[in-house]
Amino acid sequence: MDPMENKPELIFTDLPVDRAFRPLEYPITGELVQEFMETVGDRNPLYWDEALAQEKLLGPPVAPPGLAAIYARVSYLQDYTMPSGGVLAKQEFEFLGPIRIGDTLKVEARVVESYLDEKGRKRVTFLIRAENQKSVPISTIRLYAIWPK
Amino acid sequence: MLKNIRSGDLLPAIEKTIDQDRIMRWAKLSGDFNRLHVDPEYAQQTSFKGTIAHGPMSLAFLNELMMQCFGEGWAVGGKLLDVRFVAPIRPGDRIRIEGTVKDVQKKERNYHVECELSIKKQDGEKAVVGRAFGLLRAEEEE
Repeated sequence: MDPMENKPELIFTDLPVDRAFRPLEYPITGELVQEFMETVGDRNPLYWDEALAQEKLLGPPVAPPGLAAIYARVSYLQDYTMPSGGVLAKQEFEFLGPIRIGDTLKVEARVVESYLDEKGRKRVTFLIRAENQKSVPISTIRLYAIWPK
Repeated sequence: MLKNIRSGDLLPAIEKTIDQDRIMRWAKLSGDFNRLHVDPEYAQQTSFKGTIAHGPMSLAFLNELMMQCFGEGWAVGGKLLDVRFVAPIRPGDRIRIEGTVKDVQKKERNYHVECELSIKKQDGEKAVVGRAFGLLRAEEEE
């Protein structure tokens, strides 16, 4: 991704309840999984050991579920940049199905809460659902943020 | 993966050192180039007085711990709940990703294992807290 892309900031007034973002197509490539493993330092053999995965998972290796931490955020920022000063207040994940290398995830984000709290802070909650190319549910994510502006 | 798990058991902890290089790699991986993470000069002028690691990278660490312990029972059926970021993780921090089993319930063919998770810094300060549920097949646990 190009950090110099010229996109508008996503601001609170862009985030009313039920605002839906265009679906993100997120390809799970071998290179992505390798880079994730190296960056995080997570070399679980279920991500790369074919024989172990066959024994334990009855199928090919899985991609790290922690990729959800990345595609969740990207799903609402494809056409925007994040203004500085926001706070990720809380996050929740439910993993529903395995991700495999070669899958392309379809990730859809929607605003489910948007309000000013008792201290006047801008609170936004996203509900993010990911499924694979066969429409098999992969994850459901709730992301609670305090928006900066 | 875990065997014979009981309430009160500690999950095998993971330790890591966070440096600016790892933060830069996460920025490239995630596309999050917020200057608070990647620009030490800028970050020095903020209330954080220096760069901090991305919150989602900590989520990846918690996932690593749970995947290590539950494998398939994390990748399919795992839940990570109430994850809160309570203190920043900075370059140079040595962190410990740990968990404690709080409850084990048998439901049909699986044990549903509730865990309390945290990421602590070298001085014991908690940076991230949360809860998680992983699954173990009953026959795996026996």
